[in-house]
Amino acid sequence: MRRLLKRTDTGIIIGCIFVFVLFSLWNPQQWFDWGNLSNIGQYTAILGLLAIGQTFVILIREIDLSVGSVYGIVGITFVSLENNNVSVPVSFILAMLLALLIGLVNAVLVVRAKLSSMIVTLGGLFFYRGLVYVTTHGAVTGVPQAARENWLAQLLGGHWLRIENELLLLLLLAFGCAVILDQTRFGSHLLAVGGDPASAESQGVPVSRVKTFAFCLCSFFAGLSAIVTLANQPQTNVSLGTGMELESIAAVVVGGTLLTGGRGTMLGTVLGAFFFTAVRSQMIALGAPPSWYVAFVGIALLVVVTINTLLARRLKSA
Amino acid sequence: MTTEAQATDTKHPLISIRNVSLSYGNFQALADVSVDFHQGEMVGLVGDNGAGKTTLIRIISGLMPPTSGEVYFDGERITKFHPKKAMDLGLECIQQTIGICDNLSVGRNYFLGREPIKRFLGIPFLDKKKIREASAKVVHDFGLRDTIDVDDEISLLSGGEKQTFKIARAVTFRNRVIIMDEPTNHLSVRERARVNELAVQLKQQGLLVIYITHDIFQIHRIADRIVIMENGRKVADVPRDAMSAEALEEIIREGGRAASKVPRGL
Repeated sequence: MRRLLKRTDTGIIIGCIFVFVLFSLWNPQQWFDWGNLSNIGQYTAILGLLAIGQTFVILIREIDLSVGSVYGIVGITFVSLENNNVSVPVSFILAMLLALLIGLVNAVLVVRAKLSSMIVTLGGLFFYRGLVYVTTHGAVTGVPQAARENWLAQLLGGHWLRIENELLLLLLLAFGCAVILDQTRFGSHLLAVGGDPASAESQGVPVSRVKTFAFCLCSFFAGLSAIVTLANQPQTNVSLGTGMELESIAAVVVGGTLLTGGRGTMLGTVLGAFFFTAVRSQMIALGAPPSWYVAFVGIALLVVVTINTLLARRLKSA
Repeated sequence: MTTEAQATDTKHPLISIRNVSLSYGNFQALADVSVDFHQGEMVGLVGDNGAGKTTLIRIISGLMPPTSGEVYFDGERITKFHPKKAMDLGLECIQQTIGICDNLSVGRNYFLGREPIKRFLGIPFLDKKKIREASAKVVHDFGLRDTIDVDDEISLLSGGEKQTFKIARAVTFRNRVIIMDEPTNHLSVRERARVNELAVQLKQQGLLVIYITHDIFQIHRIADRIVIMENGRKVADVPRDAMSAEALEEIIREGGRAASKVPRGL
């Protein structure tokens, strides 16, 4: 029981069970409709991938506000390359390289120049979005039909046994990242850097390298999320991904990862993404104005953070 | 093994600091300091705040290079200053406030920075069994509470237990030099005695122990040699038996002006 209480993701597990049961009882026909679940799965995957990347950065006590714009610019790059007759795999590789490059730039500014990650990535948020507007003149065309039928596009954006591939990819990668966090040297170093960077450094943990990897992983996942979204989507627009940075942070925090670093789980993050997605989709289905969702995210965050803080204090004194 | 090593090492110092200076901008933290440290000895490094003790230690433990001067380890000149390099040479610095990540388990802290790896399908995974067993053994051997589970977060340990844990970790990784930076601050009387006892044991095992403290009376009881620093300079370097703790205290109190009282030829 104590172990369970100590887990940072206990709250979100309960929260997810609660919303699942609530929606099942409230409007079972609509909730269990395959199309509905499929939609929720797809959006959970998109937000979840972003949030997994964000988890790495938050675990090392930093933050990445640029993921929404990275999502945008990588997605637009992917689509634009395809529109210029570049093959899907090559577009994919180039777009992902761009994502890694952005992560590297963030890392260099934070690790080498010792700037605050909040400032660096806030700059990135505006800069990459601006770049999208400038280069596209505000308009992009969707992915051509031929490209959407490519095997890679189908692999990323298609479905398997009626389950969206995005969701399968999310579960696979989340599992992989959970293993990395819990079972590898890098994971241990990541938690150490987030918990106490000076102590980690004193024991020979390569703090700069760990941070650089975390930022690169974050941008990598943001880019992957964008490509997965667009791979099999007929159209797109330049505001793609706007606001996703805060949604991803919200999912991570609701999932139990502490903004103070060093504590958190990938399971919590994925459930956090599911939680927000499920609630949003049900609110729309029940006819609530979309603005309610925004208010709900705020309330959910406050409730979760309050509960987590109180629990942490009680455990400390226990 | 230790007796043999000791016999050869009395000839040349394990760590030799030669004319080392370090300045931060206009501020000179260390000015032309030369000092030797030998294997199997405990040296008390004493001085007031800002005397340069910590700066000297930061250089020795590879956290920063000196502005000028040379550092030798086991006869070899150190050219690259990096904490990892110092660790590889067998040097470990135990500090009051750092060295332990409170959010990690006892086991993970024990292997922090040198986690054992077990390959599965070529992928390097943490060897959790080894982490658990080796750290449990150390917890037991160093007399920490038997109720401590190595999977528990280390924040459950008391201040003294954490210090003991750090020393245990430093020793079991076959180190040659243990630097203890104010290791007994904020500890209870009993915990303090325990830490000092451990320090003496390390020395007896043939390690070089450099013990930094404000407390001349405490260190005078256990060290072989006392080095006093003041304003970035070494003002005294005497064997314990050569001077009383009171006389040494006077040197510190008078800011090195009493250093002329140090017996000649030392």
